[in-house]
Amino acid sequence: MLTRVKSAVANFMGGMMAGGSNGDHPGGSDLPLRFPYSRPEFLGLSPDEIECSADHIARPILILKETKRLPWSTGYAEVINAGKSTLNEDQACCEVLVVKRRPAGNSTPNRTPTARRRSSLPNGDGLNIKDYQDSTEDLTFHYWALFDGHAGSGAAVVASRLLHHHIALHLQEVMEILCAPNLQPPTCLGEEPINHLLTPTSQRALTRAASLRGAAGAPGSPNPTPTRFFTEKKVSHESLVIGAIENAFKDMDVQIEKEKAVYNISGGCTALVVVFLQGKLYVGNAGDSRAIIIRAGEVIPVSAEFTPESERQRLQFLAYMQPHLLGNEFTHLEFPRRVQRKEVGKRMLYRDFTMSGWAYKTIDDDDLKFPLIYGEGKKARVLATIGVTRGLGDHNLKVHDSNIYIKPFLSCCPEVKVYPLTQCEHGADDVLVMGTDGLWDVLSNQEVAEAVTCFLANCDPDDQHRYTMAAQDLVMRARGVLKDRGWRISNDRLGSGDDISVYIIPLMYGNKQI
Amino acid sequence: MAYAYLFKYIIIGDTGVGKSCLLLQFTDKRFQPVHDLTIGVEFGARMITIDGKQIKLQIWDTAGQESFRSITRSYYRGAAGALLVYDITRRDTFNHLTTWLEDARQHSNSNMVIMLIGNKSDLESRREVKKEEGEAFAREHGLIFMETSAKTASNVEEAFINTAKEIYEKIQEGVFDINNEANGIKIGPNHPTTASTLTAGIQTPLTRSGIDKNEVTTLLDLDEDHGVVIFKFAAI
Repeated sequence: MLTRVKSAVANFMGGMMAGGSNGDHPGGSDLPLRFPYSRPEFLGLSPDEIECSADHIARPILILKETKRLPWSTGYAEVINAGKSTLNEDQACCEVLVVKRRPAGNSTPNRTPTARRRSSLPNGDGLNIKDYQDSTEDLTFHYWALFDGHAGSGAAVVASRLLHHHIALHLQEVMEILCAPNLQPPTCLGEEPINHLLTPTSQRALTRAASLRGAAGAPGSPNPTPTRFFTEKKVSHESLVIGAIENAFKDMDVQIEKEKAVYNISGGCTALVVVFLQGKLYVGNAGDSRAIIIRAGEVIPVSAEFTPESERQRLQFLAYMQPHLLGNEFTHLEFPRRVQRKEVGKRMLYRDFTMSGWAYKTIDDDDLKFPLIYGEGKKARVLATIGVTRGLGDHNLKVHDSNIYIKPFLSCCPEVKVYPLTQCEHGADDVLVMGTDGLWDVLSNQEVAEAVTCFLANCDPDDQHRYTMAAQDLVMRARGVLKDRGWRISNDRLGSGDDISVYIIPLMYGNKQI
Repeated sequence: MAYAYLFKYIIIGDTGVGKSCLLLQFTDKRFQPVHDLTIGVEFGARMITIDGKQIKLQIWDTAGQESFRSITRSYYRGAAGALLVYDITRRDTFNHLTTWLEDARQHSNSNMVIMLIGNKSDLESRREVKKEEGEAFAREHGLIFMETSAKTASNVEEAFINTAKEIYEKIQEGVFDINNEANGIKIGPNHPTTASTLTAGIQTPLTRSGIDKNEVTTLLDLDEDHGVVIFKFAAI
């Protein structure tokens, strides 16, 4: 993902960076790791197994152990890259979380969770979930996440351990509202009781009538409503969940930035999360991983990638507004190729932030600078450095041999799409496929859908490993087999030499959940 | 733990012949009568001593089912030793040896040491393949041969260790190029002559991950103080 990268491990005290020579430790940081490098917790690998997993020669496909099970019998498989980095920089996390009402007296949520993991929680069976689920006021959600690291594994490891806690905290803030689906989310908390009942039409009519009269409340109404003289935007419960996920990403990014003062958290990572809450799937994506739903053999895309090409106009606009971010070395304009000095004065094709099409402009000296976005497809880079434009971390990433920071151009904000799972029927072969770019670089949505559909059709429908085996098959198809000229997949195409991680989530369990 | 050499092994053979049980007996010294089907690859490791040198065996236990053959084939690569296992109580598992051997020879490096193992020697009353047949097959194809019982542990140590001895001898004779990791041999960090130059591979970071004990104290989580409970996959 990175070229010409210098992942500066910065001396971050006071947020000051004192030039290119200072704060760079070529051999890594002296600070301790935030979390040790590992593979996803749910794989339950020993250090010896982790060592085997990092074999770049045979590239073993790791799957969930027979004794382990993920929620909804989710399938998972991964494989390490063909040698581009020593470690597998992909990470994954899968959890079921129960959010409980914040205990009284703790009114301000602790944004940096500091409590210790409950060691009493076992790793698998034997846990009595009923004790917790009996309370109707609890909010349960399922969580699947993939992180694709670059320039080090630190950020991906940290995000895989912590992002779900941030999501839980933000959901906790609005859980009373989420748990009352018939109540309109109040515009302002603490001003009035939540009493705008949406379903009983008589009362709503009454409330509206009272508002129109400008009275303090309808006489005799049990719940007097304050006067409203202006229209109010209606905010759905769904968009509260979206907001919670978005803010969780932001908090995670801020936490990584802060903790870099005391820990060695290398590089950055993309993040793709799927949250199942109250019958809906929320797919949040910041980066170039992808999720699709395969329903009755048809592909439904549920995420979009953020790359220099897909975010060109946002990046160009930012550079246009804040030209100092380009350090006088780059131009925000795009040209079909590098401009040569002898072409100054001639007219050449270009694109600005206002354009998706092309036009001609007269070349001047400024246009000789390196383009902000350069390269095509998978080779497209921002500031000649990074090929993905959203994600977490990367706070110290700079253009090689310069003091130009990349981070201002990167967004940690996910795009969250909603799939109303329980409003649709799902059979045993209807699944959501999540994969890092190692999968999608070499296989199209259609190829993935055909492979998965075909594989599942040939499996015993009662085999609880079928989704894991389908994930293994998919990773195999993307990795390929080693021939004389490298890793090859079907039709003698080049296999993916990248880290590849895949979840296959059967959706029918979501229908059963409600 | 420091070692002089690391040898990569692969265990192959039909489904149900006891590959996973042999591995478990060798690494954990226990027998598990009911074992789930291996559906991909599983790993084990153990340290042994040969000629006074610490040698780490890294063992890849593969799925035996035909449907996984395309996946397991790539795991031959970079193996220094292979245990080819059949079940002495099932003639068909012996009949399939030729196919396994062809597969192994085609996808591994030519110096790979192959040990033929007739497993389940404790089930003498149900024997379908005579010991002499196994010996003959091994002689014909240039393999080492042993009958083992993963249940009683009979000959299990010997099977793994004799294979390692053979590999070790090949190293001494200069047959193996130990600087090429594709041969399934790595030189350990405490090797007297080459330690400084040859440990830059995957060993360093992995060792670090193994010894870092910070996890326990720095693990940061929510608990009931904040009202969030994490379930480890109990809620399916």
